[in-house]
Amino acid sequence: MTFKEFFLSRMQVFFFLVTMILLASVILGSVFAPQQELRYYHLLSPVIIAALCVLPTMVTFSKKEPSLLRFLITHLIELVLIEGVVMIMIAPPEDIEKITFYIILGTVILVIYVLVELMMWFQKVQQSKKLTEQLKLLQQSEESSYR
Amino acid sequence: MNTKITTIEKDQPEEVEIRCHSISDEVREIVAFVKSRQGQLTGTADDRFYEIAVSEIFYIESVDNKAFIYTEKKVYETKQKLYELEDILREKHFLRISKSMLLNLMKVGAIKPSLNSRFIAVLYSGEQVVISRKYVPDLKKALKGEN
Repeated sequence: MTFKEFFLSRMQVFFFLVTMILLASVILGSVFAPQQELRYYHLLSPVIIAALCVLPTMVTFSKKEPSLLRFLITHLIELVLIEGVVMIMIAPPEDIEKITFYIILGTVILVIYVLVELMMWFQKVQQSKKLTEQLKLLQQSEESSYR
Repeated sequence: MNTKITTIEKDQPEEVEIRCHSISDEVREIVAFVKSRQGQLTGTADDRFYEIAVSEIFYIESVDNKAFIYTEKKVYETKQKLYELEDILREKHFLRISKSMLLNLMKVGAIKPSLNSRFIAVLYSGEQVVISRKYVPDLKKALKGEN
């Protein structure tokens, strides 16, 4: 994978993260702080958090094809870094116990991480289907050329 | 070894004649090359020589500087190098899918996603081979007919 391809995939991840963080904020906010009033600059939070979450994903970039073990380790490091970045950025509200807040936040980050990975996997499945269709067409055209 | 080429009339059959003192490995390599140009490869199995139709080959793999031809039921060793076979078989829809493997696209039933930008080719024999990340762009080009 070239850095350009990797960068484009990170851009996709970024926009998906913005959406997911916004949704998570709406759901968690309405549950834990429904009376909270927000200002316009708060709308930037999902964008800033998503950008900071994309930065640790750089650890997965490799020009060479990594082994399965390395692939899994880099993804685990990536998840830990993302959890760390978000937990440093978001302070717990005063009326919630710290440990409860961080458990919920950690779970939300994990869910979003899994959703992003699923989205990327779904894209690959679609790509595979397209390649298989093209393969069938190639095989059919080759067979018909022999007739 | 001297080489002599004689131009003949169109109504006469073309032929390659090798006049040698003994059937050495070098002679066998020349014969294998000529046959491969005609849609046949020469391989050995159980200390016997076999003519293998290119259309019967699923993939060719290089292991420890030796190339092996895989058909549905049998494996043959060939004296030819993988890069030589790649050149010869390109027009027959063989494609390099990893550092050590040439795949016959006509024998692939489906392409499935795998971890880390790799793909898996599921052959008509049921066997699965890994398409390395590096060779995925070549596969896409080949399936679009750009190769």
